[in-house]
Amino acid sequence: MNWSDIGTISPVVIAVLVAAAVLVVDMVAPGRRDPVIVTALGGLGIVAVAILIQAGRSGSAFGGAYSLDNLTVFLDMLFVAIAALTIMFAADYLEPRGLPIAEFAAVLIFAVTGAMLVAGSTDLLLLFVALELMVLPGYMLAGFARHDPYSTEGAIKYFLLGSFSSAILLFGLAYVWGITGTTRVDGVAAALATVVATGKIAPGLAMGLAFMTTGVAFKMAAVPFHYWTPDAYQGSPTPVTAYLSVGPKVGAFAIALRLFVGALGPLKADWLPVVIVLAALTMTLGNLVAITQDNVKRMLAYSSIAHTGYILVGLAAYAGGEQSGLSAILFYGAAYTFMNMGAFAVVTALQRRPGVSSQIATFAGLGRRDPWLGALMALFLLSLTGIPPLAGFWAKAYVILAAIQAGGWLTVLAVLAMINAAAAAFYYLRVVVYMYMREPTGDAAPSSPGALFRTGLAITGVGTLIFGLFPALVAAAADAANVFHG
Amino acid sequence: MNLPILSLITFTPLVGALAVAALPSRYPHLIRRTALAFSLLAWVMSLVLLAAYAFGPTGFQFVEAHNWIPTFGIRYKVGIDGLSILMVVLTTTLSWISILASFGPIKDRVKGYMISFLVLEVGMIGVFLALDLFLFYIYWEIVLVPMYLIIGIWGGSNRIYATMKFVLYTLVGSLLMLVAILATAFAYQVGHGGSWVGAFDFQLLQQFAASGQFGDAFQNLAFLALFLAFAIKVPMFPFHTWLPDAHTEAPTAGSVILAGVLLKLGAYGLIRFAVPLYPHAAHTFAGPIIVLSVIAIVYGAIVSIVQPDLKRLIAYSSVSHMGFVTLGIFVFSATALQGAILQMISHGLITGGLFLLVGVIYERTHDRTIAKMGGLAATMPVWATVFGFFILASAGLPGLSGFVGEFLVFVGSFGISPLIAVATIIVMVLAATYLLWMFQRVAFGTMSDFLKGLGGHLTDMTGTEAVTLLPLGFLIVVLGLFPSLVLDLLRAPAQAFLAAAGVAVGG
Repeated sequence: MNWSDIGTISPVVIAVLVAAAVLVVDMVAPGRRDPVIVTALGGLGIVAVAILIQAGRSGSAFGGAYSLDNLTVFLDMLFVAIAALTIMFAADYLEPRGLPIAEFAAVLIFAVTGAMLVAGSTDLLLLFVALELMVLPGYMLAGFARHDPYSTEGAIKYFLLGSFSSAILLFGLAYVWGITGTTRVDGVAAALATVVATGKIAPGLAMGLAFMTTGVAFKMAAVPFHYWTPDAYQGSPTPVTAYLSVGPKVGAFAIALRLFVGALGPLKADWLPVVIVLAALTMTLGNLVAITQDNVKRMLAYSSIAHTGYILVGLAAYAGGEQSGLSAILFYGAAYTFMNMGAFAVVTALQRRPGVSSQIATFAGLGRRDPWLGALMALFLLSLTGIPPLAGFWAKAYVILAAIQAGGWLTVLAVLAMINAAAAAFYYLRVVVYMYMREPTGDAAPSSPGALFRTGLAITGVGTLIFGLFPALVAAAADAANVFHG
Repeated sequence: MNLPILSLITFTPLVGALAVAALPSRYPHLIRRTALAFSLLAWVMSLVLLAAYAFGPTGFQFVEAHNWIPTFGIRYKVGIDGLSILMVVLTTTLSWISILASFGPIKDRVKGYMISFLVLEVGMIGVFLALDLFLFYIYWEIVLVPMYLIIGIWGGSNRIYATMKFVLYTLVGSLLMLVAILATAFAYQVGHGGSWVGAFDFQLLQQFAASGQFGDAFQNLAFLALFLAFAIKVPMFPFHTWLPDAHTEAPTAGSVILAGVLLKLGAYGLIRFAVPLYPHAAHTFAGPIIVLSVIAIVYGAIVSIVQPDLKRLIAYSSVSHMGFVTLGIFVFSATALQGAILQMISHGLITGGLFLLVGVIYERTHDRTIAKMGGLAATMPVWATVFGFFILASAGLPGLSGFVGEFLVFVGSFGISPLIAVATIIVMVLAATYLLWMFQRVAFGTMSDFLKGLGGHLTDMTGTEAVTLLPLGFLIVVLGLFPSLVLDLLRAPAQAFLAAAGVAVGG
């Protein structure tokens, strides 16, 4: 270790310091909201600057265990944005419920630190440790409303299945290490390339591949490894759900990029069929079950499963020989972050007063009660549906285009994805129906969120629009990030 | 000419929508007038465009092109030929008429309504102008959302079911179309050494298609995807079931635009994109499509006879009338295609007018059941006269525009199969039957108890209502007497269509 190593991982180091600073501030001025938020958001701003300074550079630290490349920068920026937005949305929700904001912010930033470390990991062991750093705080956040039995139940399910899947993933990693004799991603890739060249894949390697696929599929919430998702999402405090639906999901795809594309790239012909089946199952089942939901949080949980399926199409397109499949994954991740967090933020705003449920009836007449909130929710839902010219449309278009370029079975997958997207319109637009085409119920929840919250909403709304009108901005960054250290 | 007039026409309603959005909603009348002013402005500009359009040459005029997403060669490219300019003028005409016709009926959430309508107009004009497939797709989808809101918020009692059905049908088609568009662009990219430049450009794609570079199997799949999207919109039998629901539940102006313009989007897509890009597949599937068209013509007419609701009857008659359009496209003859396009315009004018007239009745009675009407000619003579005029136009009375279109399709398809021609003639008789019978039950006879109960509410048409119908009636007569006005404009597009479809060009 030397100073240049520290420089390379400086964003991660600063993020840890920010999380610690938040706790110190809370110790100095206990229970005060504003200092905590200023520290957290200001700190995340510094992290963002540290990341942007590294943009375009390339390097590695700790003997190749950690890599700095365009992918790291892209994902790190996304994770910082996710953390900042979550904090903006959480404050108004936690306060009326008497939940501590400082602990929330600190735990969240620790989680994001783990995610940032995942983004740069090029060593299997570091990848696993970073993964755990990312998900352990997530379990805490899911159970953050500790007096709420649903929150506790969701957290326990999330924790048990999450730990289990981590163990399975680790088991798979052990096989790979045993066969290739190294934990460095490039070393593994080189060793596997030789294995593929000889034409015989050892049974142990196949076992390892199966375990790793299962582990990562759990983290992504891909069908049939998705059972924890709806309960964890519905039970968690809504701002946490907003975070869980994007943070760990993008994190899981970061693992997929570093592990499957980087280390296991030479075996892609072997894992391609599995990814195709997973993608097809995930989007279809996610959508079908989402259609039947009457609770908007649960509906968005299932819809997030469906979106995992669409993103998996990008991964399948890559394995089918189309590098732009990776750009599609990254673009989708960014677009999904803004529109999905925005949708959850509107749910959060409605639930600002404790006791308001996230049932679809809560949305009745929202377009009339609060035109801005209604219009924003409609924007997010239309974007999630994939209506142009919004972010979600381009996300789908890029994924589909990559799949078509890969050809063969991937074209069939593209058609299936589009049929799914049409089915998804049913449940997204159902919320719009409630907002605009039904009268408000008598006990309408007053929303009027605070300035911080409104800033967050504005960022997600403008992001959804700007990504839609000028997709080239993000696409360029995603294209730059699709070739990375392997 | 450097003035980007096409973009100006497209985005004038958008500026109008933003202006309306900026107005406080407590001034509904100001909002209505602002919306009308912008739609009239777009209309005037489209008429100026029509005057400036050079009739003779083939190809596109007033083309504007700007890079939008260079990575994939996606451009903002618009242009017009004889077909699209007619559609644009039809759109701008029906748009201001619809907005004016909404002044009275729409009292609730006027601001949202007018914004939706103006955004809808942007999408519709954009579809007809786009020469980049991606841009076309985006406008195509933009049309969907405001119509969804217009039916769902300001519609009748069963509006939510109707609007969801409308959206889901349309989305299934359009998303598959997206796959086909992307696949087409990719095939072009592969054919050009991996360069995306021009991959979504309609004109370049058509040259590529004309040189026979899309494989037959690929053409079949891509054509079917586009065909499904367009057939749902037209709507062709058996994809038509969303239409009666949507029409019945939509507010009057929504029905006018739905029948007048939205159905034309599908037919336009077939003429502009589906056939020229995949000519081989178009010929492969022409037989079944002609059969479906004839079924639509006959089935729509028969089902119309038994409809108890005025709007539902007109909706099913639309299925029948639009069957002539798809028939005219897929027999691949210049005469039939010109007839089909004329029928598109004529159907927009006539059916738009009929929906406005039903709207007049609905405003006064809040009912559309034919059985509850009767003897309206006595209390509302002006209305009954105008209604009779539009009914006759719809039934295909010679001298009015409806006749010319159907007749040309008939003549054009006679050469293909006399059997089809005979079927269409029988339907013209059927059309006269259901329309005149409906007219008789509504306008003549003794006044029903239901209408008597309304008493003084049954006033005749107001000036505003007359103003909305006057231009439509005028155009129906003009096109009926001087169809060559339009047919001259369509000669070049028809020849281009047949050349692209690989048919030897005759007269």
